[in-house]
Amino acid sequence: MIKTAEFLDRRNFLSHTASGLGSVALASLLSRDGLLAAQRESAPGKVPVRPAINSGRPHAARDPHFQPRAKQVLMIFCSGAISQVDTFDYKPELIRRHGTPMPGGENLITFQGQQGNLTRSPWRFRPRGQSGKMISDLLPKLGELADEMSFIHSMVGKTNTHGPGENYMCTGFTLDGFPSAGAWTTYALGSETEDLPAYVAIPDVRGTPQSSVNCWGPGFLPAAFQGTAFNASKPLGNLAIPGGVPKRTDEATRAFLERQNRRHLRSYEGDSELAARIASYQLAARMQMSIPDVTDLSKEPAHILKSYGANDAGSKVADLRAAYGRNCILARRLVEKGVRFVQLFNGAYQTGGEGVSNWDGHKSLEKQYSVHGSVLDQPTAALLKDLKERGLLEHTLVVFCSEFGRMPTFQKGASGRDHNPRGFTTWLAGAGVKTPFSYGATDDFGYEAVGDKVTVHDFYATILHLLGIDHERLSFYHNGIERRLTDVHGKVVKGILS
Amino acid sequence: MWRVRNLLGSLVFLFLAADPCAGKRVVDFGEDVRPILESNCFSCHGSSKEKGGLRLDSPGSILRGGDSGEPLFVVGKREKSFLFKVISRQDPDEAMPPREKDALSRDEIEIIGSWIDAGAKLPESAGESFLKTDHWSFQAVTGEHRRDSVDAYLGDALRKKGLQFSARADRRTLIRRLYLVVLGLPPSLEEVEAFVADESPRAWPDLIERVLASPHYGERMARHWLDIVRFAETNGFETNRERLTAYHFRDYVIESFNEDKGYDQFVKEHLAGDMMGKTVATGFLVAGPHDVVKSPDKALTLMQRQDELADMINTTGTAFLGMTIGCARCHNHKFDPIRQKDYYAMQAVFAGVKFGERELPERKDSRGRQEISDLRKRIKGMEVELEGLLSRGRAISASRHNDKSRPAIKAEGNVDRFKPMEARFVRFTILQTNGGEPCIDELAVFSPEEANVGREAKPSASGTLPGYDIHKLEHINDGYDGNSRSWISNTKGTGWVQLEFGKIEKINRVEWARDRKGLFKDRVPVKYTIELSVDGKNWSEVSSHRGRRQSPGADIDRDALLRLLPLEAAARGQALMLEIAQAQRRLAELSPARKAWVANFSQPGPTHRLYRGDPLAVREEVAPDAIPAISTLDLEISSPEGERRKALANWIASAENPLTARVAVNRLWQFVFGTGLVDTPSDFGSNGTEPSHPELLDWMATTFVEGGWSVKGMMRILLNSEAFQQSSFPNKEAEVVDAESRLLWRFPPRRLEAEAIRDGILVAAGTIDKRMGGPGFYLLEVERENVVHYHPKEDVGPSEWRRMIYMFKIRQEQDLVFGAFDCPDGNQVIPKRSRSTTPLQALNLLNSKFTMQQAGRMAQRIGRGREGIVKAYGILYGRPATEEEISDAVKFVEEHGMTSFCRAMLNTNEFLFVF
Repeated sequence: MIKTAEFLDRRNFLSHTASGLGSVALASLLSRDGLLAAQRESAPGKVPVRPAINSGRPHAARDPHFQPRAKQVLMIFCSGAISQVDTFDYKPELIRRHGTPMPGGENLITFQGQQGNLTRSPWRFRPRGQSGKMISDLLPKLGELADEMSFIHSMVGKTNTHGPGENYMCTGFTLDGFPSAGAWTTYALGSETEDLPAYVAIPDVRGTPQSSVNCWGPGFLPAAFQGTAFNASKPLGNLAIPGGVPKRTDEATRAFLERQNRRHLRSYEGDSELAARIASYQLAARMQMSIPDVTDLSKEPAHILKSYGANDAGSKVADLRAAYGRNCILARRLVEKGVRFVQLFNGAYQTGGEGVSNWDGHKSLEKQYSVHGSVLDQPTAALLKDLKERGLLEHTLVVFCSEFGRMPTFQKGASGRDHNPRGFTTWLAGAGVKTPFSYGATDDFGYEAVGDKVTVHDFYATILHLLGIDHERLSFYHNGIERRLTDVHGKVVKGILS
Repeated sequence: MWRVRNLLGSLVFLFLAADPCAGKRVVDFGEDVRPILESNCFSCHGSSKEKGGLRLDSPGSILRGGDSGEPLFVVGKREKSFLFKVISRQDPDEAMPPREKDALSRDEIEIIGSWIDAGAKLPESAGESFLKTDHWSFQAVTGEHRRDSVDAYLGDALRKKGLQFSARADRRTLIRRLYLVVLGLPPSLEEVEAFVADESPRAWPDLIERVLASPHYGERMARHWLDIVRFAETNGFETNRERLTAYHFRDYVIESFNEDKGYDQFVKEHLAGDMMGKTVATGFLVAGPHDVVKSPDKALTLMQRQDELADMINTTGTAFLGMTIGCARCHNHKFDPIRQKDYYAMQAVFAGVKFGERELPERKDSRGRQEISDLRKRIKGMEVELEGLLSRGRAISASRHNDKSRPAIKAEGNVDRFKPMEARFVRFTILQTNGGEPCIDELAVFSPEEANVGREAKPSASGTLPGYDIHKLEHINDGYDGNSRSWISNTKGTGWVQLEFGKIEKINRVEWARDRKGLFKDRVPVKYTIELSVDGKNWSEVSSHRGRRQSPGADIDRDALLRLLPLEAAARGQALMLEIAQAQRRLAELSPARKAWVANFSQPGPTHRLYRGDPLAVREEVAPDAIPAISTLDLEISSPEGERRKALANWIASAENPLTARVAVNRLWQFVFGTGLVDTPSDFGSNGTEPSHPELLDWMATTFVEGGWSVKGMMRILLNSEAFQQSSFPNKEAEVVDAESRLLWRFPPRRLEAEAIRDGILVAAGTIDKRMGGPGFYLLEVERENVVHYHPKEDVGPSEWRRMIYMFKIRQEQDLVFGAFDCPDGNQVIPKRSRSTTPLQALNLLNSKFTMQQAGRMAQRIGRGREGIVKAYGILYGRPATEEEISDAVKFVEEHGMTSFCRAMLNTNEFLFVF
């Protein structure tokens, strides 16, 4: 690894570009330093670290700020706000006080309005693994892997609306238009492979989440760092050779294109932006080979397909599980190939109303969660196990999260739970995290985080830390501000580091 | 009004009125208070450390307070004063000094308390000293200038570094550069050749005049401006619903640039157009995203409103002033002299602005009525003349092609004939409509003996739009015409319907219509196939849309027809088309009851400063104001809503405002040369960069204002400069000194933006539809439920071949091909686009159906062989092909065809960059 001080020096970098295309266009690619810029700070006393991006190879691997614990991230995002009190946050007091008003909650108005009584989960909690962590029967297979997980029970959000909530969880800001965590990560680190996109989002087969493409958008970062969205059912657009064009003609066309570009380049020798564009067509050709290869699950052995439920069929739930299971296999394959950031979605905000196709269980939680649990549990557990067995957890950080949590009460006059950003659960697994472990807690009912609160900014400060990135120095100058994934906040949650 | 207001004026008044200690010796700041602060507080809040951004060692910074924006004292009220609360240790978590053992003595606390009660009097200079800043952009624009041209200033700076301008670029490069930069469209072959042949010494300035007079100039300038004001046509957030009438604002911006409206007037209309007969301009205020998900949760509702107002303040600050006022929402600005209080003062200016549609005011005066009737007459006259030209074109077209093509598809009825064939099934498959789910009122099938054999057949379909009694499957062959007895598919743009006969029939003709009554013209199948089958398994296609003429009336068709005419007649026809479009727009503008997505206004309640930006932590009330560090608006706390915006508008659009003109000319510079003199175009504060040529910036600002804020005037100056006309070739020695060409030793080449690439491809293929204005076209399919989902369209047709500025701009979502080219998603102000290079861009531009479609069109347009190849180089690059290129291309085309050649050429650097 190159020493930090060495790679921070841009001029030094310019003379070391691997592709041999000078990098004069580096500045115009990012163009944020400014000829006469004042020395800007990204946090008090902290100078931004500008990733040394080679415009010809924007996804080439870049060194982190310090020795990382994890090299890759796999995020599993449950869209619609999965309930903590029905899954991982065990509250005996909630069971005891079932059917009574929540103390102090009588006049509480949440997103959809007034509260009914405290309501225990329809699913029983049992001790799981060696650690005896209490996890509900909604997710029994994931429960078996409790010893692999580091729970954070004291997550707090900033909003109780899905769109802003998913923005916040994916970008650190409630508003639209900010770069996603995956975009920040690939902006900082590039990728371990250049044959595949550096950052892949795998939307649920039912559609996109509430915040749609914001969840993997580049915001104001260069488009090079946006998530590329495809899943095991829907291939990436514009990847295939156009219909009716023979392969031989396609190859000849690209060769002709390159000859024409090279003739033109003679008058602009050394222009790295032009050279970068020529190189981008070569990279594109490599992706045309490697993306169909990675999405082709036909070579997966039968026992793997079975463990993920990838061939389940016979009911709507089984079909959904199979589709999600195939996405889980795809996620593993992408991690295996070195994709830096993989974001796997469970749940979508498509037709059918709240809670039908995602975790937004306002009105009939038991019925809806029975479906969602059955879709999520087996494939996700298989994924985690598979990653472990292949040794991928050694350098991959698995992040399980949702935009916020849900109330321990049922809504007044309904059989489901309203939104609750005041206390919810996420878990991490894999590289660099302490397991089995539980960090922070909510109150007796699972309503509000008490002590050791972890904001989304803390959450990402920690994730970036595991990737070897100082969240206060990873910044991008936009419209007058040194922007960061963690805004002007964030503290690394040291307690969960191994 | 432009004098800095002495803030203490009002404080002193309060002090006199509130002094409860009259007769006693009043506590003096310098003698009594400062020594206490010095011995207890300066070590953390002084020259060596500024904890919390607070300094207590000067009266000015005491008045400013710390970063939190919380004032240290409330005059006359110790118990409400932050300073008093912390030194008297009321809350152990917020006690100062932090360590108990360092606590102030009771006497010291009492002295500070009495000082506050007595009016917290500070030396008179305090107010001014805080507001004073020596930052360059806050200083008045220099009125005296050393030099008098762009080139002179640039030349000085170059010489200092031992550099000079490059040689003048050749004419072909120049005209292409001028067109791409100013119009965003490449020049036609004829235009290039005419310019190359023009021997007049005024050839270049004349060309600039023609380009600035083109209506496409406004479209190009508007694209940049719409980025700066984060214009988009949906609400954003999770519902992301459409704003169907937001396009009026886009049209307004385009027209304003085209008519060269003074920039000062342009700014004023943006903020207060409702009071100037330009309500449409206030679309600016509400062009940003807003969250329509409402909840009974009060805190959420308040925060949503705060976010809306923050968007207006932030955009106003950055777009016009290059000031990140939005940074002071939660605390005092970290870099610029803007207090948190100033942020809320500006919020009070916008507090009465609401989102929504409204009817634009009707024009009632007789002049308006007269103009409407004149316009109608004029349009009619022009249409008659145009029709004459078009029919000449049609005649030529018919004689040339011995036109055997079948009639265009009509909503009212179509016939498909084929060789008689036996079949038991007829299937009509719709591949595309002119919008919406396809509709057919009757599908009639005839035998060679003219018997309608379909009447008794059994119909089936891919699906039928549910819930409508008038649209049912059985209507497809019930013998009744019209929309009210029709079938509609349940899928957008596609579907199939089939008839199964009782026995095998011999047939040779199918007749079908959308609406034989002629009332409905939407949902018409424009791409379809007709297939026959004997067994219901093996099908053979007997007819389709192929070979039909394009529907008449579309302007792209007109363009093609006009091009067949002699040059003069063609030009006349094109001019007529433009004039008709303009007249129609004007007519629409004058017509009553136009709804538009523009700001709605009402008198707001009080505006308060919010501690840490929290809407539940309400602090003191604030009066509407601008940035007092420049000057104040002097408005009453309860001023009428409109007056607030008007005052701010006049304050911004003033020659004396040191920021407005500088920010504007810098944007024009960036527009022309790629990078501004200040390369942080929306941040002229201390966190931005300083100008590379400060004197030049001020010379331009002065010239701009003196020229009546004419944007075209400034463009004329920049385009006529030697700097713009020099070559873009690299130069090793110069690169060592100035790799980014910021000193302009050459014209810096750059990749075109998404819009210019797409428009350029359409021009090259000859398919571009240059109709201006009005509602946009969609590059995404819209699925409307409570929230709206968008799905990228893979197939686009002529209705999507307009300039990309007219693409219906959907927040968050991106078009399948051009989104990857750093196209902003409309959520954030984008003063300057990124320019990244990625493999996804390559895949999109190489493999998309759009590229293949346009490459095919271009191949048809340029014709065959060597001649076609030469023409392609001319169209795409504005230059002749070299022999080397021709021989390479000829060989390639022989083997792989012209479409593949065009596909490659549309991906080349020389086409995608401006040089």
